Amino acid sequence: MKKLSLVFGLMLFVLGTTLAQRSISGTVTDADGEALIGASILAQGTTSGTVTDIDGSYTLNVPEGVTTLVFSYTGFRTQEIALGTSNVIDVTLEEAVEQLNEVVVVGYGTQIKSTVTGNIAKVGSEKLENTPVTTLEQNLQGKSAGVFIESVNGKPGAQMRVRIRGAASITASNQPLYVIDGIPVTTESQNLSGASLNPLADLNFNDIESVEILKDASAAAIYGSRAANGVVLITTKQGKKGKTKVEAGYQFGFSNPTGRREFVNAAEYVELFTEAAVNLDEIEGNTPDGFNWKDWVEARFDRYAGPSDWRTNETDTDWQDEAFRKDALSRQANLSFSGGDEKTRFYVGLGWSDQEGILVGNGFTRMSGRLNLDHSITEKLTAGVNMSISRTFTDQVSNDNAFSTPLQLIAQAPITPVRNPLNEAYTSPFGGRTYQPGELFDRPINVYYNGLIDTEEAQRNVTTYRNIANGYLRYELAPGLRINGEVAVDIYNLRDDAFWGVKTFSGQASNGFGSSQSVQVLNYNTKLYANYITTLNDVHNLDLVGGIEYQKSERNLTRTDGQEFPVDDLKTLASAADITLGTSSLTQFSFASYFLRANYNFDRKYLFSVSARVDGSSRFGENNRYGVFPAVSAGWVLSEEDFLAGGSTLSFLKLRASWGQTGNAAIGNFPSLGLYGAEGYNGTPGLQPSQIPNPDLTWESVTQIDVGIDFGFIDNRINGEIDYYIKETDDMLLNVPVPGTAGFTTQTRNIGAIENKGFEFVLNTNNLVGEFKWNTSLNLAFNQNEVTRLADGQDMIDGGTNIVKIGEPLGVFWGKEYAGVDPANGDAIWYINGENTGRETTNDFAEANDVVMGDPNPDVIGGVTNDFSYKGFSLSVQFRGVFGNQLFNGSGYFMSTQGAWFDNQTKDQLNRWQQPGDITDVPKAIFLGGNGDQRRQSRYIREGSFVRLQNVTFGYEFPRSVLQNIGLSRLRLYVTGQNLATFTDYDGWDPEVSTDYNVSNITFGQDFYAAPQPKTIVFGINIGL
Amino acid sequence: MKVINIKSLFIGLLVLGFFGCDEQLELEPAQSISESLALETDANIKAVLVGAYDELGVGNLFGGETLRNSELLGGDGEIQWVGTFVGPREMFTKQMNSDNADAEGTWLDAYQTINILNNVLSALDRVNDSDRNTVEGEALFMRGLLYFELIRFYALPYEAGQVNSQTGVPLVLTPTRGITDDSYVARNTVDEVYNQILADLTRAASILPSSNSWRASSGAANAILARVYLQRGEYQNALNAANAVIESGEYALLGDYADVFNRDANSSEDIFAIQNTTQDGTNAMNTFWSIPDFGGRDGDIEIFQGHLDLYDPADTRLALFFMGNGAMRSGKWNNQFGNVGVVRLAEMYLVRAECNIRLGSSTGAAPVDDYNAVHTRAGLPAATDVTLEDVLFERRLELAHEGAKIHDIKRLGQSVGGFAYNANELVFPIPQREINANPSLTQNPGY
Repeated sequence: MKKLSLVFGLMLFVLGTTLAQRSISGTVTDADGEALIGASILAQGTTSGTVTDIDGSYTLNVPEGVTTLVFSYTGFRTQEIALGTSNVIDVTLEEAVEQLNEVVVVGYGTQIKSTVTGNIAKVGSEKLENTPVTTLEQNLQGKSAGVFIESVNGKPGAQMRVRIRGAASITASNQPLYVIDGIPVTTESQNLSGASLNPLADLNFNDIESVEILKDASAAAIYGSRAANGVVLITTKQGKKGKTKVEAGYQFGFSNPTGRREFVNAAEYVELFTEAAVNLDEIEGNTPDGFNWKDWVEARFDRYAGPSDWRTNETDTDWQDEAFRKDALSRQANLSFSGGDEKTRFYVGLGWSDQEGILVGNGFTRMSGRLNLDHSITEKLTAGVNMSISRTFTDQVSNDNAFSTPLQLIAQAPITPVRNPLNEAYTSPFGGRTYQPGELFDRPINVYYNGLIDTEEAQRNVTTYRNIANGYLRYELAPGLRINGEVAVDIYNLRDDAFWGVKTFSGQASNGFGSSQSVQVLNYNTKLYANYITTLNDVHNLDLVGGIEYQKSERNLTRTDGQEFPVDDLKTLASAADITLGTSSLTQFSFASYFLRANYNFDRKYLFSVSARVDGSSRFGENNRYGVFPAVSAGWVLSEEDFLAGGSTLSFLKLRASWGQTGNAAIGNFPSLGLYGAEGYNGTPGLQPSQIPNPDLTWESVTQIDVGIDFGFIDNRINGEIDYYIKETDDMLLNVPVPGTAGFTTQTRNIGAIENKGFEFVLNTNNLVGEFKWNTSLNLAFNQNEVTRLADGQDMIDGGTNIVKIGEPLGVFWGKEYAGVDPANGDAIWYINGENTGRETTNDFAEANDVVMGDPNPDVIGGVTNDFSYKGFSLSVQFRGVFGNQLFNGSGYFMSTQGAWFDNQTKDQLNRWQQPGDITDVPKAIFLGGNGDQRRQSRYIREGSFVRLQNVTFGYEFPRSVLQNIGLSRLRLYVTGQNLATFTDYDGWDPEVSTDYNVSNITFGQDFYAAPQPKTIVFGINIGL
Repeated sequence: MKVINIKSLFIGLLVLGFFGCDEQLELEPAQSISESLALETDANIKAVLVGAYDELGVGNLFGGETLRNSELLGGDGEIQWVGTFVGPREMFTKQMNSDNADAEGTWLDAYQTINILNNVLSALDRVNDSDRNTVEGEALFMRGLLYFELIRFYALPYEAGQVNSQTGVPLVLTPTRGITDDSYVARNTVDEVYNQILADLTRAASILPSSNSWRASSGAANAILARVYLQRGEYQNALNAANAVIESGEYALLGDYADVFNRDANSSEDIFAIQNTTQDGTNAMNTFWSIPDFGGRDGDIEIFQGHLDLYDPADTRLALFFMGNGAMRSGKWNNQFGNVGVVRLAEMYLVRAECNIRLGSSTGAAPVDDYNAVHTRAGLPAATDVTLEDVLFERRLELAHEGAKIHDIKRLGQSVGGFAYNANELVFPIPQREINANPSLTQNPGY
């Protein structure tokens, strides 16, 4: 913003030789009374003008005959003031309702939005601050068209699944490249155990000035082989010349799960399983030895009920209550200082965030500090640093696929007491240890390991230290020509210390088990580039950038495991009598790049841009090490043409089109080599082949075409964008399944193709202006994804339940189509779906053919935000919607089996078939299963569409008049609700879900004991000095 | 700072940047070496052979699941699978689907090991002369052992005395250097596969040393040969092979049955076993048969009274069963980091006894003596006379839950759970991923 206003100022600062008739002076401020530095003042009809200084003051000699002064400032509405008698004119500029003149950050530079020919979505700091979430991406959810963001589950600091304009890859990453203040940062999850953690959670989003999402090839291609999934540019706050601002914020609140599942209670449990056992006995007939399943199941009830009597429903445990923490605390504090003078500008941000998880034993704390400093050494030479340091601490729980993860508690029987309810010690006649009064029960009393024991007897701490820093020098070699040199590091240190005591699942066989792991990712980045901005003959605007960049990333890992601890109190490995594992490893990659971009526009009317990047990477084969990624785009601002200018309704209209190629290099570090790895045996070192060579391996290539319209009506009170794109991935890296008889299961090849195409709509309206303001912003995106080519002769890649199939969207669910229940006998039936079988059904699971039974990709995503304000009051209401996708309940074959095994059953299982003629979709209950409880079938598919009340914030800003008396510049009180309401037909916990142990490019949209999202209400205060 | 210095600094950086980058793209992995290097020297080839042992001992293979799967597939009334895993559950209920994860895992890991062995066999000319026979013999032993597992699980049973032209499994005998048309192999016949097994094991038995620490010895090759011949109903050959193992004098029965199991190192009774340590290896038998107190899962397999009733109350083998996690358990698998036995001497005595009875001979020893060697070790009184049924019953108890179950059912033409020995349900599916990846493969009947 600062740089640009300077350019504008210079352009407008025309030294004329005019006759000064009159000297006018005054100040220019914004609505808050803050001085606007560099606002321009022009005597209308002349070339005389000036800009405001650091205090917002100006003095202008106005030639004779001038009656009006024009005050303008980027991002503010231009005002014309008629000259009166006074020679002092103070002006308050209002912020422009539309942001066409706003500046957007692009790769290696900035641009005025109205001249941009690519597709860039911007989210400003006001939409990022003060939210009760753990990571930046959660703040971006639903705010930009075509940017799908999913928290895979509700564990704080958990991974996020981000898809910009659909998934463009099967094997390489589908996540965008994140660039913070010019540094491509580490974003891949690095912890080895438990739920995967998101390295971007290290970032305090309150320090961010803006986030720009580069969606089309024209905007992103300057990032070359890593831009295929789009690029997220994160710009942190910089100090501004002027008065030092001190701002402090604090918030406090509570979280609870967004949803619950309904399970049967103790009486229903006993009834269901007894019936299932009796039914099995009937099928098996009388056995000669008198064995029957009913007695066997009742003996199990005796075991599971512990000291209580299941026949009288003495115990009726709701295990969900045990898995969820009630009113989990959410707290956050931030403090920042910013300001500067002619020579030095600074921003200091300090943050603390403490989010208790909604699951017991889960939590996340972050402490962060940032210093952004720039200093003008001479008029032409500027040096600066952007430094952040943060520490996060995660009270870790297991991933969703572990008995010890809290939500797997729901598999326990409701007839089992959580703890020994007696006033005396209890020993089960079925074995196991003796439980003191109040002690947590475990197997064999529990059906499965009681995960609550982990919360009391295990300790799993993941600590990360993150330091992202760059230093730069900027030198103005000639007017408009700037050279930039930057050196940056991103150091990510993760420590994962875990200890399981003797009562825990992991520690009981070995007198405790401990593990200590440390991962260090050192990512360094240097670049040198030049910008040249010039205007010829007032109309030819040229903006050039070119440079070189080098990046290297090294990942070091060490891990030690040990067991046989003398007592549980000694938790570090120093106390382990038996060290069972010690390992260290190193892996690395590097990129060397050259890039160039030229933007030209004629009078901001005809816009052109070309760019190219040459990328080389260590990741690719000898034969294909370098690639070129070009892009071209053009735009036409029709509203600048005479035939449209001056029209009162249509205030802005731009057509734009772009074409470009980007690459995807986000695969393993050495996929092209034929390798043998070390595999020891019985203390003897050994080697095993681990990979087949492919020296031709190179990046995936994504070609994208985008056409768009930007429009504004009624002085841009209504403005928006419409885009259509086609994004084709070619040479897609596939781990092509090869015959396992070859001794390998896959080989990485550049072979596949995938296509995404869709529409995006953005509409912003100022419904009401004036004292009562009402703004609406809406975004909507339709994306169609289709896999168009796989390996020769390959029609499908089976990812488990999600598959890749030619002609289908990536990751569709594949399995048998459930047809319900045969009313005559209670058998589960499936559609055969054979070539000539029509809609015939069968009760033989194997006889039914597999079909596409659902698609986890949404057809439509969108968001709508309404902002209301009246005097100091403000209300912001954001809804987010995801439509047209299906979810697969991967735990259905445990929890919805009408009593196949002792897992507690969902309430709907009570609708099981009981007698001929019953019309239901839940089959006859048969113990040990086999009747419709198979995993891979559409019985466990559900509609996943939802609309979420993502964020509601109601705030009150105290008026300046009140504040002056108490010495504050700002005081705001607010209450925010996050995820307050979710509207969905999904009967699970939460429709925003992909289980964390099994989320990949192919596998997603599966629910497997995954934590729902937190529903959070916080109360907060912002103070400014 | 002088302007000129800044300029030269920038230009210097620029030059450095342009010329320094290319070498920076040459990065080597730190944990792997290239294929050519791995097969270049004597030491490296021997390391690859150790890698094959490691793979042979993974969970899906002799780390325990091939043993477990035999017991589950042959299980009815004497044990019960109660675990959550679907693959084993389908095996136990004889309702396998073509995507059975355990059937897939065993197939893939077996062929992965076979490829390692083929690599070793392709590089024998670079092995020191003095060790070449041993390296070749160990590799052939493992390859024969794996094809024997594959042919018994993935094909209809061998019918003694007939032409076995039913589809078997693909024979892959050369190392994979890349994926070519030759990689898309078809299934060989059961006869062809057995011929290869016999060729591999026979040569292994002839070139391996009689003692070779935990590695394969000629005794190990002969012991597996005895099994192969027994499976084919070739009793004279089985007898000779078993006799060779016993007569070698390398092995001796332990005095106490309980000492045979849960061992950290081989005993005198072990002929070949997978070596596990706290540092390395998998004991999948512990995982599924034992209970959490000993490092197992929840006790996924329960022993029913129907099995316990088979034992004489005085039988010390009965005493090894214990109550844990609410049910009776086998006590053979309670050492989480213990070895997993593949073949032990007691089986050889029983093979020799069975074959001698069938053939009316007394090669090596009278059947009753071999029978008693095993029977009295279990604390039971010596028998004076034994029938074939006695020997087979003794075998059922002695080798209980060690992986012989379904294979004995098949060779003896018995049935289980209402399924005849040659029922389609008792044959693993060819893994669906394999059918998808290789159009040359045909699926087994019933899938």
